[in-house]
Amino acid sequence: MEKKKRAEVGKEGLNSAPPTYREHMELNTIKDAFDRVAKKQKLSCSKTQEVIDEVGQEIEQAMAKMQSTDNGSGWDLKSVLLELKAKLNEMAPMNQLEVSQRELNVGLVKYAKILEKCFNPDISKAYRNVDSDVHIVNQIIASHFYRQGLFDLGDCFVSEANEPDATALKSPFLEMYGILEAMRSRNLEPALNWASKQSERLLQNGSSLELKLHQLQFVETLQKGSQNEALKYARTYLAPFASVHKVEIQKLMACLLWAGRLDQSPYAEFLSPTHWERLAEELTQQFCSLLGQSYESPLSVAIAAGIQGLPTLLKLASVMAAKQQEWQAMKQLPVPVDLGREFQFHSIFVCPVLREQGSDENPPMLMPCGHVLSKQSIVKLSKSSTRPFKCPYCPLEATVGQCRQLHF
Amino acid sequence: MDMASESPSSLANGDSSAASTPAAAAAASSSRMLQLAESLKLEHQFHRVPLEQFKKTIRSHHRYAEKEISAVLSGVADAADRPDAMSREDAADHLRSLVSRLQGLKRKLEEGSKTEKLQVQRCRARLDHLDSIDGDNLTEWNNTRLKRILVDYMLRMSYYDTAKNLAETSNIQDLVDIDIFLDAKKVIDSLQTKEVGPALAWCAENKSRLKKSKSKLEFQLRLQEFIELVRADNYLRAIQYARKYLAPWGATYMKELQRAMATLALRSNTECPTYKVLFEPMQWVYLVEQFKQEFCRLFGMTLEPLLNIYLQAGLSALKTPFCFEEGCTKEDPLSHEGFRKLAAPLPFSKQHHSKLVCYINKELMDTENPPLVLPNGYVYSTKALEEMAAKNDGKVTCPRTGETFNFSELVKAYIS
Repeated sequence: MEKKKRAEVGKEGLNSAPPTYREHMELNTIKDAFDRVAKKQKLSCSKTQEVIDEVGQEIEQAMAKMQSTDNGSGWDLKSVLLELKAKLNEMAPMNQLEVSQRELNVGLVKYAKILEKCFNPDISKAYRNVDSDVHIVNQIIASHFYRQGLFDLGDCFVSEANEPDATALKSPFLEMYGILEAMRSRNLEPALNWASKQSERLLQNGSSLELKLHQLQFVETLQKGSQNEALKYARTYLAPFASVHKVEIQKLMACLLWAGRLDQSPYAEFLSPTHWERLAEELTQQFCSLLGQSYESPLSVAIAAGIQGLPTLLKLASVMAAKQQEWQAMKQLPVPVDLGREFQFHSIFVCPVLREQGSDENPPMLMPCGHVLSKQSIVKLSKSSTRPFKCPYCPLEATVGQCRQLHF
Repeated sequence: MDMASESPSSLANGDSSAASTPAAAAAASSSRMLQLAESLKLEHQFHRVPLEQFKKTIRSHHRYAEKEISAVLSGVADAADRPDAMSREDAADHLRSLVSRLQGLKRKLEEGSKTEKLQVQRCRARLDHLDSIDGDNLTEWNNTRLKRILVDYMLRMSYYDTAKNLAETSNIQDLVDIDIFLDAKKVIDSLQTKEVGPALAWCAENKSRLKKSKSKLEFQLRLQEFIELVRADNYLRAIQYARKYLAPWGATYMKELQRAMATLALRSNTECPTYKVLFEPMQWVYLVEQFKQEFCRLFGMTLEPLLNIYLQAGLSALKTPFCFEEGCTKEDPLSHEGFRKLAAPLPFSKQHHSKLVCYINKELMDTENPPLVLPNGYVYSTKALEEMAAKNDGKVTCPRTGETFNFSELVKAYIS
């Protein structure tokens, strides 16, 4: 996408496209350096072969000469050998090898240096030396495999790592992937079974998944042509939802009029395959939620956060390099590590006056003007009296009594 | 060093109004690119390991070629410089053997150049992998990265089957270093059966580089072998062995050497703790750990598994006091017991600015979607409350207290 965007901008003659990650990390320089290594490797290979061939040819020539000196005296033989030795000396094959090898080495050293410059050569600099509990990590990994539907891999890992207790998530996720698999082949039965068993808990979650599954099944029945069966289905399964979901049920029942040619009806939208995809996603969400699990794999989330946060931590570690002990002991990072929106799980209030995070002892307070400060700031501003004080952000005045605590 | 300016603050601060103007969109995209580049700069090991392997192969091929050719050259010189005359048959045979030696070398180098070619391909495949990210495949690329990190973990923990299984099913064999670790496996397996031969061979193979990094591994292996001789009451051989293999290290590790030699007097059943520990089976476990570390260092890998490094960084960045509260959302990894335990020794993250997430729809509350305060002091996002009011004739119900209010009773809060 970036490439395309750049090309378009180029066409318009603008050179102001923001640099891509490739330019930020000088990927082309790295690749060029490696191309040189690859070239030198080829050269060195063919050079070695050439040298071997030449040496071999010289020896073979000497052998031919020896044969042609018929019944010759020992002197002749000796002169051929001495001549061969001299020629080989002159050829200096060892030097030739050395030279091509050295050129290759220069390329390799340069490439290694470029790697060191363009990448962070030691990403463990910010690592806090704690005994990480192998069992916990292994359990997290096993759960990750099972919840991703990688059951064989999970089993392989559990037996190899000898963690027989790490299989807790296997059977629930086997059930979930079984349901989803059936849905992919247009079979809603396992999904409906599950939803009716979990009916109450789904409603508590505010999810109308069960109704949506019945809807889909109804349309599916109708589409297969049997008006009668569809009607029977609606009476049994849709009727209980009629009071709460009036509009949907009315629309669905109107579908009966177009049985067999629903695709030409105003309700053709009901046939869209996106319903299946969306429902599969919602089912996954509800299934995980009822299991007390997250929708995303927590391992994926934590690692992704680590990848975003580590560059900042590494910079911090290099700034603090002289204070290793402090680094290992600190209770709170001295600078913020900004993570993307997807990692924002909690409301964090930072008092704009005190620059401190809110807490139970120092909660956020709303002033009548609408600005929010921490309780401590308000106490300070009012100088502990009941007299009005001015808001630091606008001209309005307030008294402590007028401020009220907020809950995010 | 200004860290704030290099982080994707426009995104993280929830300044979504930024995206509404083209210039701001460009700025957002540019900061995303910078962030992507920063995260890719963590991939040094990814490129360095196959490079080290390639260098090692080249070195060994070169050494072999040198050895063979110089043998042929001295073979010719020997024949030429012989004081006594050779018979013609002898000379011809001699030369023929040299030629066939050269042919053998050639064949072997041809094989070798295939290996080198594969290794070049692997290095290039990794550069290409880095070059392959675009807007559409970023999620998939990130998934692959997680798999690479997991394979790295498996290999370091000696879970080779899982590593192979994961690499094959995900088709990422070129992006992970299984073969290198399988070489290490031979050494580790032998050390686990109390055999030092392969480990010593590995030390000899990498002698110059181990010397450069002042590695102690070979000395420790030799020391262990000596201890085993003492354990077997084989004193004469133990002394011989020490003379031959331990004495050369005397200048560097005198204290340890002396301590080991003292076991000759005390024997393996000693109760003196200083010496008893030398006979413990744990020593072999230490040797395996020591070898693993040297091995990682030699290939330019981190000593810790990548997984542990990333996990620690991630948990530290995610760790807030709210993660440990009862109602913590399950989407936060720190709501799970295992992650909490791992995060226990880590520092909390820090925030300079408020970041508010709506309890109802989990959306960020910012200037686009400002926070509204209910009369009971609870705060939710405008979007969520407007939606609720539209469905319920202008009334909103606080999901946490159950109280119902008119939408008109709500007031806007300004949070800077």
